[in-house]
Amino acid sequence: MSSAGNSTQTTGDAVFRLAVASSARGMAIVDARGRWQQANPAMERMLGQDGGRLAGTDVTEMVADGDAQRLLDALDALLGGGQPVHLSLAFVHADGHEVPVHMSMAPMREADGAVQFVVLDTQDDETAAMARQLADARTELVAMHRLQASFAHGVSHDLRAPLRAIDSFSALLATHLDAGLDDTSRDYIARIRGASTRMAELIDALLELSRAMRAELRSAPVDIGLLVDWAHAELADTDAGRDAQIEVQPGLQALGDERQLRLLVNHLLHNAWKFSRDRDRVRVEIGGEPRADRIVVHVRDHGSGFDMRYADRLFEPFQRLHGPEQAGGNGLGLAIVRCVAERHGGRVWAQSEPGAGSTFFVELPAVPDSGGQA
Amino acid sequence: MSQKDILLVEDNSDDVELTRIAFAEANVANRLEVVGDGAEALDYLFARGRYVHRDPDDLPSIVLLDLNLPKVDGREVLQAIRANEKTRGLPVVVLTTSTEPFDVEASYALGVNSYIRKPVDFEQFVWAVKQVGLYWLVLNHPREGG
Repeated sequence: MSSAGNSTQTTGDAVFRLAVASSARGMAIVDARGRWQQANPAMERMLGQDGGRLAGTDVTEMVADGDAQRLLDALDALLGGGQPVHLSLAFVHADGHEVPVHMSMAPMREADGAVQFVVLDTQDDETAAMARQLADARTELVAMHRLQASFAHGVSHDLRAPLRAIDSFSALLATHLDAGLDDTSRDYIARIRGASTRMAELIDALLELSRAMRAELRSAPVDIGLLVDWAHAELADTDAGRDAQIEVQPGLQALGDERQLRLLVNHLLHNAWKFSRDRDRVRVEIGGEPRADRIVVHVRDHGSGFDMRYADRLFEPFQRLHGPEQAGGNGLGLAIVRCVAERHGGRVWAQSEPGAGSTFFVELPAVPDSGGQA
Repeated sequence: MSQKDILLVEDNSDDVELTRIAFAEANVANRLEVVGDGAEALDYLFARGRYVHRDPDDLPSIVLLDLNLPKVDGREVLQAIRANEKTRGLPVVVLTTSTEPFDVEASYALGVNSYIRKPVDFEQFVWAVKQVGLYWLVLNHPREGG
């Protein structure tokens, strides 16, 4: 729309057009009937549409359904002699995703006062864009959780059945061949059975980890002492006759999901017990120190300890610092402990001295107004 | 003591064999009727399909039910058993590999009598099946003269 005339005016108009074309903000002209007329490159990018294609189409076609009416109402108000209008709405890009924007609309008033066109000036609505990204991420997360849940379910059923067959028919084979078996054969069969047992334990641990990662957390005051008692009872059951002294600070509580915290306590106590194998008796002390709105629970054993050089590997899945001879497990127990702690917004760390024992620390939410532990 | 058949609903032939062995070790004399999927289980219980010539009043003493079955899964079988007046009171023991909370929850909600996770270890498996047999076939008093 540059008029023929002196060079200053032409230059002026051309520079102005260049300005609009260069603007990072999406700008467009819409006619009094709400149809696109022209759009600058930024607007074209925002909509994923070519300006030429847009021309003549209804502006509401590029707008999210819920916002179309508001836009039309704003346009009407504007054309009826109103002041410039500001509104937040979402355009719809050609590929379907929504582009939330803050938009200003102003009438293009001719010299005679007539308004045939309206200029739109848009600015990205970052907050809305982020909110939409968050919603998308959440949808993907939910889908992944569902996938993981069905995977865990499949693992639960499909991997254990063949293991049972391996273990059972090895045992039956041994019985069946009984007299004909020499020591080497018995040893081989024992190894087969041992391996399938270990694999079954690993599967169970993986399922536990999987559940720790995705299970819904129900928060309530949890009596840590009670969890320790249960863990102690289980350990005493499987290791009957073992001399064990486990002391818990009275009144020790944390705020969290009891089922998950039970897993956490079980694994920590199980480790403490296991690594005290070479001692005359198992000695474990459990206590907690309040720290602002958290409680730092410690589990101290006097067992074989570990080399602090490998401390950063301690809580990684499948990383073991001890082989089976030194009571090393399947490498998942501490990964589960860390997972539970982190899902409660806390963390875990450990200190140790080989030969002197280890202390594991878990920071968890404290029960509000618990007035300090004990 | 119930003399009637035990209905084993299990699609894994290894587990069928191990269950047989376990019952034999427990000296459980009841005949073991095996069906390989949920649809067959229901046909058997309701005397239809290939079991149309069965006496519908001749129900098994217990149903050992795996959950993950072809065609009609264990949960649906359990639901159908509890929905039918004739079979509603049938003792059903779920014998499965899973202890996923939703499997346990669903089974109890549908009225299972007992939920047993099949051990991987052979001796433990035999022990578990023995316990089930002794409890339901010897200790438990059956509904009718059995």
